[in-house]
Amino acid sequence: MTTTDTDEQAAFLTKLRAFQGTEAGTEVGADPVNQAMIRHWVEAMGDQNPVYVDPDAAAQSVHGQVIAPAVMLQAWVMRGIRGRPAQGGSPRDELMGMLDDAGFSSVVATNSEQEYDRMLHLGDHLRTRTVIDSVSEEKHTGLGVGHFVTTRVEYETTEGEPVGRMLFRILKFKPGTGRSAAPSDDAARRPLRPRPALTQDNAFFFDGAKQHRLLIQRCAQCGRLRHPPGPRCPRCGSYEWNAQEASGRGTVYSFVVNHYPQVPAFEYPLAVGLIELEEGTRLVANVVGIDPSDVAVGLAVEVEWLDEDPDLTLPAFKPRA
Amino acid sequence: MTTTAPAYDALHVGDTAPPLVVERLTRTNFVRYAGASGDFNPMHHDDTIATSVGNPSVFGHGMLTAGLMARVVKDWFGPTALRRFQVRFSKQVWPGDQLTCTAAVIAKREEDGERLIDVACSVTNQDGVEVLSGTATAVAA
Repeated sequence: MTTTDTDEQAAFLTKLRAFQGTEAGTEVGADPVNQAMIRHWVEAMGDQNPVYVDPDAAAQSVHGQVIAPAVMLQAWVMRGIRGRPAQGGSPRDELMGMLDDAGFSSVVATNSEQEYDRMLHLGDHLRTRTVIDSVSEEKHTGLGVGHFVTTRVEYETTEGEPVGRMLFRILKFKPGTGRSAAPSDDAARRPLRPRPALTQDNAFFFDGAKQHRLLIQRCAQCGRLRHPPGPRCPRCGSYEWNAQEASGRGTVYSFVVNHYPQVPAFEYPLAVGLIELEEGTRLVANVVGIDPSDVAVGLAVEVEWLDEDPDLTLPAFKPRA
Repeated sequence: MTTTAPAYDALHVGDTAPPLVVERLTRTNFVRYAGASGDFNPMHHDDTIATSVGNPSVFGHGMLTAGLMARVVKDWFGPTALRRFQVRFSKQVWPGDQLTCTAAVIAKREEDGERLIDVACSVTNQDGVEVLSGTATAVAA
């Protein structure tokens, strides 16, 4: 749901996007992994598993020693209540300051994706390296007008051993501009994209999209991939299926650029591609991040997620970097 | 509270875990999580600031809901089984909310010699509205 960008908005977005790919600095956890913080955490979660808090029980378990809950990863290098320095902060601090100054002062987390290489034990001292992955264009969300900011954080011990990583997405938004508030301009009144007709066969695809995972239906019997989703394998006839996550890379197999008729929920000209995925299936999706007149058959593309509104996320494809 | 992962062969797409129900979230839950995680965004504990920007009250940390959800996966597959945990926070969580965390197997696969189970995760509030959706990948025995 892009707005018709004013020049000012476009210029602001250019400034924000200059941060994309920027190393946002290294931080070291205030303390090594320790029993006290683990105890606070598991009490907050109501988790009574002794492997987190009882050295004797943990020693007798398969783990041999106390472990920290995997999902606690973020807490070991959390900046806490110290706040941002007024000057001389990291590029991330600078970016957040620019958004604050432009009125996007509220923040909520929208997505978290963590991977764990190993369990953490008492005494592991972690540090992070953070990269600003992306800054979205201005979006109208239920909470308000804002920009999604995605960071990638690598967690490693102070000796340099990788232990996990996290992709974290927040929405920086202008308070009071949400759906309950009066629309501030025409763009806020733009109708929502049409809803997909959800069935028990295709719901996984849209659920996956909400998590920014491109899922392809796969026959559980013969392994054939198919899209769009359907109840039955066209090759072997099996009704059993599961899903495979696609790499998100593909090429434009064919496309159209739609000028007319114009549906209010979309912006025109609208490039609609038939994308051939690396995995072999094809799907129809918008082609973005390129002038529609430059789209060509054979163009190498990769998935870009369109968080249209709180209830709808769709895959689109942009030229591969 | 098992630490033994269920057998890969015994798991099937559609299998579900016993849901975790958190009866009634309070501000104390949020404050305790703020202390445990180090996330002191005032939106989660300072009603004056939270309401000044249009919220009806403070609201819960997304990662608190994620942590509760992860408990279901941990109770199912054991504390060391989790490899990947991906969540989307679709609605805010408010004091007084009742949360129900559910998990279901959506895929089984082998990767790098490990037998992996993909689990769909969902947390709904007392009105049946989904506040978190996600996917966890865990190792099965």
